Amino acid sequence: MNTVYEERTLPRPLPVGKAGFRTSGWWGMLALIGAEASLFAYMLFSYFYLQSLSTQPWPPSGLPPLRYAAPGTVALLISAGTMWWSRRSIMLGKPPQLTIGLVVTLLLGVLYVILQFLDWRAEPFLPSSDAHGSLFYIITAAHVLHAIAGVLILIAMAVWNALGHISAQRYVAITVAAMYWYFLVLVWIAIFITLYLLPYISPH
Amino acid sequence: MAVNPTFRTPVIARPTPELKEKLEEMWKDEHTLYGWLSTVDHKKIGHRYLVTAMIFLVMGGLEALAMRLQLAQPDEHLLSPELYNQFFSMHGMTMIFLYSLPILSGFSNYLWPLILGTRDMAFPRLNAFTYWVFLLAGIFLYIGFWEGKGTDVGWFNYVPLASRPYNPDWNVDIYSLGMVFLGVSTTAGAINFMATAFRTRAPGMTISRVPIMIWGTLVSNIGLLFAVPAVSLDFFMLWCDRQFGTHFFDPSMGGHPLLWQHLFWIFGHPWVYAIVLPAMSIVSQALPVYCRRPLVAHSAVVLATILTMVLGFGVWVHHMFSTGLPVVAMGFFSAASFVIVIPSAVSVFAWVATIWTGRPVFTTAFKFFAAEIVLFVIGGVSGFMTAAVPLDWQLTDTYFVVAHIHYVLIGINVFPVIGGLYHWFPKMSGKMLSEKLGWWNFWLMFIGFNVGFFPMHISGLAGMPRRIYTYPASMGWGDLNLITTIGAFIFAIGVLVFVVNVIVTLLAGRKAPANPWDADSLEWATESPPPSYNFAVIPRVGSLHPLWESRLGEQGGRSILEEGPVLDHEHEIPGTTVLDAEPDVILKQPHPTLAPLILALLIAGTFVGMLMSMWWVALGCMCAMVPALFYWFWPRRATGWEMRA
Repeated sequence: MNTVYEERTLPRPLPVGKAGFRTSGWWGMLALIGAEASLFAYMLFSYFYLQSLSTQPWPPSGLPPLRYAAPGTVALLISAGTMWWSRRSIMLGKPPQLTIGLVVTLLLGVLYVILQFLDWRAEPFLPSSDAHGSLFYIITAAHVLHAIAGVLILIAMAVWNALGHISAQRYVAITVAAMYWYFLVLVWIAIFITLYLLPYISPH
Repeated sequence: MAVNPTFRTPVIARPTPELKEKLEEMWKDEHTLYGWLSTVDHKKIGHRYLVTAMIFLVMGGLEALAMRLQLAQPDEHLLSPELYNQFFSMHGMTMIFLYSLPILSGFSNYLWPLILGTRDMAFPRLNAFTYWVFLLAGIFLYIGFWEGKGTDVGWFNYVPLASRPYNPDWNVDIYSLGMVFLGVSTTAGAINFMATAFRTRAPGMTISRVPIMIWGTLVSNIGLLFAVPAVSLDFFMLWCDRQFGTHFFDPSMGGHPLLWQHLFWIFGHPWVYAIVLPAMSIVSQALPVYCRRPLVAHSAVVLATILTMVLGFGVWVHHMFSTGLPVVAMGFFSAASFVIVIPSAVSVFAWVATIWTGRPVFTTAFKFFAAEIVLFVIGGVSGFMTAAVPLDWQLTDTYFVVAHIHYVLIGINVFPVIGGLYHWFPKMSGKMLSEKLGWWNFWLMFIGFNVGFFPMHISGLAGMPRRIYTYPASMGWGDLNLITTIGAFIFAIGVLVFVVNVIVTLLAGRKAPANPWDADSLEWATESPPPSYNFAVIPRVGSLHPLWESRLGEQGGRSILEEGPVLDHEHEIPGTTVLDAEPDVILKQPHPTLAPLILALLIAGTFVGMLMSMWWVALGCMCAMVPALFYWFWPRRATGWEMRA
């Protein structure tokens, strides 16, 4: 045989199964985040578009209170830190710490969801009050739904870790779940600034 | 303790009959109902996409023929105005959403793993899921039509006409929820294509050796990732306005009807590129085969494809020139719409140069591709004519625009698709389509199309508005419309000849060899039709044209097809790096499962519950998705999870 092999395709030992950093799941999650981020971007676009056309004060039915949304935001910010710590634990080969970290992260997520339900009850407007109310509820409800999905993902990760499917050599699932969680927190920051903070500082 | 990742050095060998038998046993589906419902084989899913989309094409076509009979002469009474509204709305919705993208997904699902030199998509179960959701959403979108309640305010569904006070019945509710439902399939498919292109190419298929067919679909699907959420949100907000009394589009309560149009066209225009770029890449992939030379300016075509998609996100307002927007906005979007002509035209020049410098073989497929170039130029010119704001004001909502959209969508989608089917049918079925019937097929479609649609330019310039169910004789549009109707029927007979050709060929066609057209890409390196495992040993790619290396001289490397890595422990494919395609892992792909079908049915249940206001059904189906997803993702050794020792 005088076929010339390219060096990069030479046979060499390869890991079998879920390994490496840019796995299929990593690409899949990246693409999913791209689509979900667009969804939230279009919601915020709609909000700013209708605000820019509004002839009334904005928000028309009064300012959204911060007493639940602000602690909810803090909970999510802390949860990003605990998520990072969880992933680091498994990279260092400490599965029990990973379980603790995941449980703390998902409890913070649950706390945020509960606070958001209380926030809805405290709002001075309803989805049917006016266009601002409609947008406020569809945006926050979309985020809460995504957060519930995130909590379910973390529950799955905690169960699989407890069953021994995750190790210092193979923690791809945790990486992918963490990507989703960071995305949730980042989107919330954009939503919190837009829906809750900007109305306080813009003239209305 | 958990087991460490196992490492294995793949054995390099030539395929033996024993190996093929072993792989066939491993990859084939059972010949049972369970096997049929649970398959995750990309080739079967591709077939299903192609057949389902062709059925939708025929349904949309029959709707169009009914409309053409109604319009053939002035003052006809074949269809009532209400029914006519449903026909043109269902026709647009069917062709745009249920035919034109799904048919391309069919090609891509079938061909991608073969062209990429691998055995399946990155996410085979997700692939099955996208098909089931597409099928169920298609049925969902049609349920109203049988009851006489099909969507009836046009495929772009403008508010306030589509809002509850003006459209109190179910028509638009079905359309709104159906479009959100269908968006799930489109988005999931886009995710799968992206991961497949970046992760599962054959070793050695570096980014510069990726065939053009992959580029067109990849770029279009990345575009869809960012575009589809806009329309899903738009339709969902409309449904909320209709169902719960929200005020997104209600100007009396702070909403705005133009918000609908902005979100619709932010999606709508990228969508147009998403349904033509993959079709253009079919031409770029297959036309050079019949010119006996590689595509001219491959890199320029790739870059132009990317640039077209990017610019495609910045031209949506040209659909809204007549809505009273600020002059600055119109100036910007008009200019952007002119600029996009440049990258769009690069392919045209590349194709013409390929034919010019090649030795064309006039097969049916070649004729369809060559016709596509002509129709693309005509449709492109009528497109940038309306990019000029003053001309657009004159022509908007006339038959000129109807002519334009059909030249673009039939010219750049249907013609490449039929040509592509002539090209790849031997690979898909193992039988050669008849060239004799192909001759009739092509000329009937080409002549019928131009006789049917070219006069629409003139009736549009004569002032005939679109979407009217009839017109008085005094307008003088009768002759033009009669010619259009005759052309439409000739075109339909052409499509019928194609269907006959397919059936006759399947029953009694000539057997196809592995590479009947002497083509250059990897799908032709395996048998026709390919075995369930595609390639017995994984090819290693050394150039852009793996099967033409011997005659293209010393440029580029050498591919190795006759021997390669043997991956025969369950469903294995190589995972490779994104730029250099160096193998870095042996991926374990899932086995057939009912999980995708179950999940798709639960989503369908959710949407039916929402449509019927049966909230407990909707909520129950949503909650049931949680265990279904846990089952889907549950760690299994076969999918490469590690197990406790």
